[in-house]
Amino acid sequence: MADAQFDSALDLLRRLNPRDTKKNLQAITTIVPDLTEDLLSSVDQPLEIRRCKQTNRDYLLCDYNRDGDSYRSPWSNEFDPQLEDGTVPSERVRKLEVAANEAFDVYRELYYEGGVGSVYFWDLDDGFAGVILLKKGVAPGAQSSGEWDSIHVFEATDRARMCHYKLTSTVILHLASESQALGEMDLSGNMTRQVEVDMPVESDASHVANVGRLVEDMELKMRNLLQEVYFGKAKDVVGELRSLGSLSETNRDRATQLEMIKSMQK
Amino acid sequence: MDSTIELASAFIEGAPPGELSDVVADVQALTEGDDIIPSLLPAFERYNESQLTTVKLPGSSQEVIVSEFNKVEGNRYFDPESQTSFEVDHTAQTASAAQSSPLESQNTDLIKSLLKSLGNHAREHYSNCSYGVYPIEDDSAVAILLVANRYSPNNFWNGRFRAIYQVPVSSSSTTVTGKIHVDVHYYEDGNVALNTTKPINISVSSVSAESIISRIAAAERDYQEELNRAFVTMAEGAFKGLRRQLPITRQKVEWEKVGGYRLGQDISGGKGR
Repeated sequence: MADAQFDSALDLLRRLNPRDTKKNLQAITTIVPDLTEDLLSSVDQPLEIRRCKQTNRDYLLCDYNRDGDSYRSPWSNEFDPQLEDGTVPSERVRKLEVAANEAFDVYRELYYEGGVGSVYFWDLDDGFAGVILLKKGVAPGAQSSGEWDSIHVFEATDRARMCHYKLTSTVILHLASESQALGEMDLSGNMTRQVEVDMPVESDASHVANVGRLVEDMELKMRNLLQEVYFGKAKDVVGELRSLGSLSETNRDRATQLEMIKSMQK
Repeated sequence: MDSTIELASAFIEGAPPGELSDVVADVQALTEGDDIIPSLLPAFERYNESQLTTVKLPGSSQEVIVSEFNKVEGNRYFDPESQTSFEVDHTAQTASAAQSSPLESQNTDLIKSLLKSLGNHAREHYSNCSYGVYPIEDDSAVAILLVANRYSPNNFWNGRFRAIYQVPVSSSSTTVTGKIHVDVHYYEDGNVALNTTKPINISVSSVSAESIISRIAAAERDYQEELNRAFVTMAEGAFKGLRRQLPITRQKVEWEKVGGYRLGQDISGGKGR
């Protein structure tokens, strides 16, 4: 029954208000404590920011750079609070992680023009895996705000001169606005997409470029999708609920149109 | 168990439009073994009354509203238009035991003409809705309610529009106060929710059904236009400010060379490589 309960928990989180995911996750794990670990590693929540004590740079916290109650900074490779034997990547994978952090820092500046980013890699038996995190918040007016969290988790499996990449990407986007005329408006949520692809690998440097391209393409797709759902679909549904124009006029126009089509077919 | 009931109650009350039965099924799976549903009855009642749940009158196809404003006592509610009262099963969202129940109010004429005007307004702007007008506050005021639902679970979206107004009845002018709520849920490969609350406060110079409903109709139209503008403002403002569609250079990242970039020099110059 544990699997069925896990599925029900995910279904519930997909239905309840996405603004409250953190609170609802806590409630579910209070009711069914056995689900805690599985849910924490599969439900994406807005990322928290911490400052690296060694480098004074901000980094992002997630389940993948956590060991016990400590989090590893991608800039210093040190845990905070300090851990003597915290889990760190192998020397080769840490080298890749450093290169990826440099590359995605450029990416972040180009696309986000601010915000915070962090990349964490870890070793797998037949390759390695990683997560690319990006976060930005804006407050364009006193009464309006927005927050974007990107979470890209990938697995890279080595094959002869090729590598198989599996990428799962989630974007959490919260938008809110308030004014006298508008009242309160909250448009929030998250969307997830997956892609699997084989790409050629010449050296370790190819991995950073391959993952970079994958994430860049995925974020472009997801940005377009979010735009469609948030500002197209949601607005259309409001129009389905309430028609701005008069329905009797719309129906009359439609009937006239049908008459015209009929008479042209005769 | 107490805390489980409290937490599960919050899930019930947080169910999005048209998805209460899905949420109930999830809650049942998470609390397997315990028959928790009877303990959640107060939460179902709060959900139904605040979400303006509609139920079919027994022997009729008409959907009528369940709310705090037309509650008679216990689980019995009242519909002035059909002059019927009915028993509600809050868990199943069904009505039974209908009884004839004439409208008893000093404002019977006003309520009847409000229902007529509201009906005309509703038919012009809501393709699927229920509405009601009820005497409240010891017959010193009336409540005007309208709810419109559109459910499309096959396309992973559901929506609800609720308008709740209260109008004190006096001999001269009055003020309509209330709230409009719009809730939309989209959940294909994700979970996106629109939740809005718009307070309404409009003065009406004469307490006549036509002037009250025409002012309400105008307020609803203005609000929908404002909401439509807000979608555009959000898309052009906050959304664009979070992440660009393409870098300012309009070029994608050259990942092979990206290690060679130096932040703050080559990038800000754009063409300076």
